[in-house]
Amino acid sequence: MTECCPPEAPPAAAVPRTAWRRGAWLLPALPLWFLVYSVLQPAAGYLAHRLLGLQPGTRLGDAAAFFFYDAPKVLLLLVLVVFLVTFLQTFVSPARVRGALSRRRSGLGNALASLFGIITPFCSCSAVPLFLGFLRAGVPLGVTFSFLVAAPMINEVALGMLFAMFGWRIALLYAGTGVAIAFLSGLVLGRLHMESHLEDWVQEALRAPAVGEVEEERPGLSERLDLALDGVRDIVGKVWPYILAGIAVGALIHGYVPQRFLAGLLGRQHWYSVPVAVLVGVPLYSNAAGILPIVEALLGKGAALGSTLAFMMAVIGLSLPETIILRRVMRPRLIVTFVSVVALGILLVGYLFNAIL
Amino acid sequence: MLIEIFGTGCAKCQTLEKHARHAADQAGGGHQVVKVSDYPAIVARGVLSTPALAVDGKVRSQGRVPSVDEILGFIRG
Repeated sequence: MTECCPPEAPPAAAVPRTAWRRGAWLLPALPLWFLVYSVLQPAAGYLAHRLLGLQPGTRLGDAAAFFFYDAPKVLLLLVLVVFLVTFLQTFVSPARVRGALSRRRSGLGNALASLFGIITPFCSCSAVPLFLGFLRAGVPLGVTFSFLVAAPMINEVALGMLFAMFGWRIALLYAGTGVAIAFLSGLVLGRLHMESHLEDWVQEALRAPAVGEVEEERPGLSERLDLALDGVRDIVGKVWPYILAGIAVGALIHGYVPQRFLAGLLGRQHWYSVPVAVLVGVPLYSNAAGILPIVEALLGKGAALGSTLAFMMAVIGLSLPETIILRRVMRPRLIVTFVSVVALGILLVGYLFNAIL
Repeated sequence: MLIEIFGTGCAKCQTLEKHARHAADQAGGGHQVVKVSDYPAIVARGVLSTPALAVDGKVRSQGRVPSVDEILGFIRG
């Protein structure tokens, strides 16, 4: 969410560049990427244990090895994931999604909105124009909510990183439960008919006539590749401090927090482990990518999967800055309902997975 | 020609404004750069993601920061 306004739409490049020239530059980058990735583990061990002389098996030694291995690993994965995701996103603009959702009935509309939310580029600074733009185009309030829940909660970069770090099962679990929460929250909020709890200026803005025209951008392949590279520069350039901070916390958990403590607090056998995870997660404001090393360390220390998923969703799906921005359009009752419904959904997911896995 | 920047003050909106001013200078002659940060005005123009750029009344880019050259291209039409 902090990777604000990722490049979504295409530029008609001023200097036309051919796709094959782009490709020729990008192709050797891929084997190089795999080469560097494959030597990370031995290199980290060498650095921590030989060069720094920290013994394996000691707390400091384990924490340092975790850090030296994880930092380059996560950054490398991030570069690849962001490139692929931004490339895909050039095909899905909010305007297209809005067209697909306009005048859909609840049910199917909520399902589509939740699925689109996974991949659509979204940042909290655009939440208000997007919200109003959807409503103006005849997207029902409940369907708009489904989208508004899914877009930040199922962060496309986090999804790619989960897949790269933990495999498809956990990635699918995250996406599936996120879609389920968005679908149900939107359905419930739609049934509550809370249109009158939008701020007055919003109701006026919804009735105001449209002015001017909007040109739909249609990029070619080389422009899409350029946009993906811009996305990597932009997002990786912005989130790397969050990631290093996340890995440092992960390394501390890895080296210093006793297994019994975390397994006790976040283990599946305790009813309070899920609410604790959510309560800790909501005020924490982290980048979606920065939270993953912490998730990695928590799982490694015996925290239950359901509690960990709930923690992650609370951190990236329910953020304070976004809530403050949405307060501009929603009256207090609506915003409280919105946050409660989503938090409830996250709790349910946590309990469900602790129970069945 | 009227060049409008739509945005509510995030870092990208400021970069876009800078690019637009550079482009307007380079194009020379009577281009006016205006910032629109009022939500109802942004929404009425059909902008879904900020920052957005309109040249001569037409929204040309949304949710990204076009380069100075690209904006020059918009101005010269």
